[in-house]
Amino acid sequence: MSESVVLRTIGGMLFPYILVYAFYVQMHGEIGPGGGFQAGVLVASAFILHAFLFGKAATDRLLPRWLVDLTMCLGVLLYIGVGIVGLVQGSYFLDYSVLDPAHPAHAEALGITLVEAGVGLTVASVILTMVRKVNGELE
Amino acid sequence: MLNYLADGLLLLGGFFAFSGSLGILRFPDFFSRLHPAGTSDTLGQLLILGGLSLRVLLDSPDAGLSVGKLIAISLLLFITTPASTHAISRVAHLAGLKPWTGEANNDGEATDE
Amino acid sequence: MSDPVLLINVLLLVLAIVAAIAAMWTRNLLGAVMLMGIYSLLLAVEWANLFAMDVSYTEAAVGAGAATILLLTALTRTGSREKEGPKLHWSALITATVTGVVLLYGTSDLPRFGDPQAPATIHVSPQYVTQNVGKVDATETDRLEGDFGDHVPNAVTAVLASYRGYDTLFETAVIFTAGICVILLLRPAAGQARRREDA
Repeated sequence: MSESVVLRTIGGMLFPYILVYAFYVQMHGEIGPGGGFQAGVLVASAFILHAFLFGKAATDRLLPRWLVDLTMCLGVLLYIGVGIVGLVQGSYFLDYSVLDPAHPAHAEALGITLVEAGVGLTVASVILTMVRKVNGELE
Repeated sequence: MLNYLADGLLLLGGFFAFSGSLGILRFPDFFSRLHPAGTSDTLGQLLILGGLSLRVLLDSPDAGLSVGKLIAISLLLFITTPASTHAISRVAHLAGLKPWTGEANNDGEATDE
Repeated sequence: MSDPVLLINVLLLVLAIVAAIAAMWTRNLLGAVMLMGIYSLLLAVEWANLFAMDVSYTEAAVGAGAATILLLTALTRTGSREKEGPKLHWSALITATVTGVVLLYGTSDLPRFGDPQAPATIHVSPQYVTQNVGKVDATETDRLEGDFGDHVPNAVTAVLASYRGYDTLFETAVIFTAGICVILLLRPAAGQARRREDA
């Protein structure tokens, strides 16, 4: 827990804006620079800032460890799941156009969004886990 | 005329950023080196981003979004640069670093190293 | 050197090489971590100079952000200076020099950057630039309905997630495996876990 009032105030002020910006970068991956990898790193850095300023216990209450482990697996499962939907509908693996047969273009965009969301979840969870582990939270 | 104002702001901001870097090299002591790093850089980025937003207002027809984004970046840097300078100087003070008092043979270098 | 992009390229790359050599040469580990952060920052500006915005964004976020944080937190658990060793490591120098020379000789056959007659520009890039939405041609009704009825504006994401979706899938799997390995390697030893339960 940082004892400096200045740092706690400014860090606490910044924390929600970093998360909003990370969400913006994730969703805007198809229009401008961005996408899953960048947004994942931004989310992880927001929570690392929170952990440095308010202590590991407060961050654990905010984002429990089992949730981080769960999202780490969910990201990859989401990606593979979108691929398997293509197989189930009779087309090839990772075919996005079967998600909405009436409008294949919209289905492609939906597929890209889902896949990038999966990537973002996994990257955020992995980087957060790595920094937590190296910082001394064993087990 | 506004063209010259935009270019002038950019050059002035560049001058302040350069003088900040020069100060980091030339000042004698850790704490006095933090002054150019923190305050001079903040003023430099304010001027540079102000010049850039003026330039984008003059050059392109629909520039409201770009100016808004530049203002947001400038606000973020304006808030975080002094906070990080405070963090650095606080850690140095807690670690026991003493400021340079101007004696002849003490060149104020870090005590460990 | 009259082309400003080339001038900035050369300046940034020279600074990056100087930062990398300094990071290797110094024995102070904190200084080495900071120099690696500077190297990542210079590389991010270099990618932005070559108009590769996605790569520049990722390099700045990961290199100057997450990797520096990881190295700094790892540094709290080790000493602050590298162990004394020989100043010049001959086998490493020879291996690096030979590999560098071979790579330079190989890249001399590549077409120049941005060459309009290169095979990549003639056959592959137009398909990605004029793509509709991913791999699918938009039907007539879709073409009239706002965004993504016609064209995904960021071609990089379209290539990454649609044309080369397998690559991104396995990149994500690699990141996931790295996370699992960190969790496995940094578990407490069996005795410590039992002692923690008793306490």
